[in-house]
Amino acid sequence: MTLKTTGLRKAFGGVVAIDGADVAFQPGKVNALIGPNGSGKTTFFNCVTGMIKPDEGSVHFGDRDLTGRAPHVIARAGVGRTFQLCRTFPRMTAIENVLSAVRPGGLLHGLRSAHRKTEIDRAHHWLTRLGIEHLAGAEARTMSWGQQKLLELAGVLMAEPKTILLDEPAGGVNPALLDRIGTLVRELNAEGRTFVIVEHNMDLVMSISDHIVVFDRGRPIAAGPPAEIRADERVLGAYLGV
Amino acid sequence: MPLAAGAVLIVAIAMFPSLAPNPYILSSGVIVLNWAVLATAWNFVGGFTGYISLGHGALAGLGGYATGLLITKADLPSFVALIVAAVLVAALAVPIGFAALRVRGASFVIVSIALVLILLLVFQSWSSVTGGSRGLVVPRPFPGMLRPEHHRVFFFLYGGLLLLALATWWLLDRSRFGMGLKAIREDEDKAESLGTPTFAYKLTVFVVSAAFTALAGGLYALWFGDLDPVFQFSVLTGSYIVLMALLGGVRNLYGPVLGAIVVGVALEYFKVEFGNTPLHLVTTGLLLGLVVMFMPDGVIPSLTALVKRLRKREDSSIREVTAADLAEQRKREREAANS
Repeated sequence: MTLKTTGLRKAFGGVVAIDGADVAFQPGKVNALIGPNGSGKTTFFNCVTGMIKPDEGSVHFGDRDLTGRAPHVIARAGVGRTFQLCRTFPRMTAIENVLSAVRPGGLLHGLRSAHRKTEIDRAHHWLTRLGIEHLAGAEARTMSWGQQKLLELAGVLMAEPKTILLDEPAGGVNPALLDRIGTLVRELNAEGRTFVIVEHNMDLVMSISDHIVVFDRGRPIAAGPPAEIRADERVLGAYLGV
Repeated sequence: MPLAAGAVLIVAIAMFPSLAPNPYILSSGVIVLNWAVLATAWNFVGGFTGYISLGHGALAGLGGYATGLLITKADLPSFVALIVAAVLVAALAVPIGFAALRVRGASFVIVSIALVLILLLVFQSWSSVTGGSRGLVVPRPFPGMLRPEHHRVFFFLYGGLLLLALATWWLLDRSRFGMGLKAIREDEDKAESLGTPTFAYKLTVFVVSAAFTALAGGLYALWFGDLDPVFQFSVLTGSYIVLMALLGGVRNLYGPVLGAIVVGVALEYFKVEFGNTPLHLVTTGLLLGLVVMFMPDGVIPSLTALVKRLRKREDSSIREVTAADLAEQRKREREAANS
């Protein structure tokens, strides 16, 4: 399913953060969204995931119109996200953090135990996969920044999204963990998950992305495979201000 | 652990009336149990979602007045009126929650206070229906029953209601719904982004909380028999409830009950010893400050943490050892090796 925006626009007072963005991410690929600071990437993420409502334009996931829908509706439609400043539930244990992503279903389902074996197993699976299973019983607030980033991703994966939006996965992360995150993204992508990554670390972007969209002043100025983007003069101009 | 504590609570409730030396102590027991139900009902919202409501006193007042009015104006039998009143208040909690739960943090606290003040004005001014400041006399459900027996019956009714509220809280605590509510407490936007319909969850649990609060308020009306808007719609009621829940610990099933026992007993004591002085306000205010500063998680979690720390000292991998301790220890080890 393709995640697509048409004519997306969002202004905060006089500041136009997104200015008529037409973006189509490639399904089944690792997409990257890059651009200078203030080019509207995070606002774009927030509009797509329903955290803020766009002024104009539309967001579609497959043929489903998600424009202006509540974040939980968009999450349930299969679009998961992480946050720029990694967000976990600080006073819940790692396993509870992951279990929180379980869909409660209807009212009666909601009254079922939150600690059913099938779900616990699934939560353990994701913690193991991300290499933080030994921290299952630790409260998130006691974990390091890098561990919290992995925990956040584990929670998102637990919700079984088809498309995952990562907001600066490399932010504040050491080189070893950076490698691991890059490998993970490629592996999870190989299993059929689409990724959209906002990232400033160009090495990571160039090494893991199939498709790159470049934002400048609230709209895409270029899109294509890494090699093409690297050579694009408009991109260089946007970054270097020439 | 919750079951063992529950068993202790049940035994205590069952024994108290026969142990109470006089009807006054028994009536104080009814008041404390009323607080325990109110604080537990409050904890559905405060404990799970972290939304601090100072307006729950108003929901109890509504429950009381609705019960009283349904008996006096609609001629319903007392306990039918009580149930209908709780349903009505729960229904009214939907629009109230719809408006109030849109704002978070301090704004929610202020909206909840506004609810109390608005209802106080309404119930004082609309005297043709509510009796206004003259009050509303609620007929006793058991006419002819003697005072001590009356207290005893209501003590057990409150006990049953408390157990029901606790059982419901426990059920939610371990459910997926409860997990979603706790996620809201931790980080509402994050919970939403993981697929939790946060607004619907908050509203649902607010309605449940309002229903239990209204039942406690209604029971109070039947027991006490006289309602006055100044006391029914008082910001103090909500403040006491919050103090009790925080003191005991909002993340714990029995936290609010423990807090209600401590603060409820203290309030009765101050009433007896110091009459109408504002000393109880000073003391409870001071207590609230101390709890928030030194035991933000409440007594129960602080005590369990302390016990854990004391127990763990033996096998902890990180110890605080002075150089002298270390030398002493080495010496002992050497001696042990030599002998």
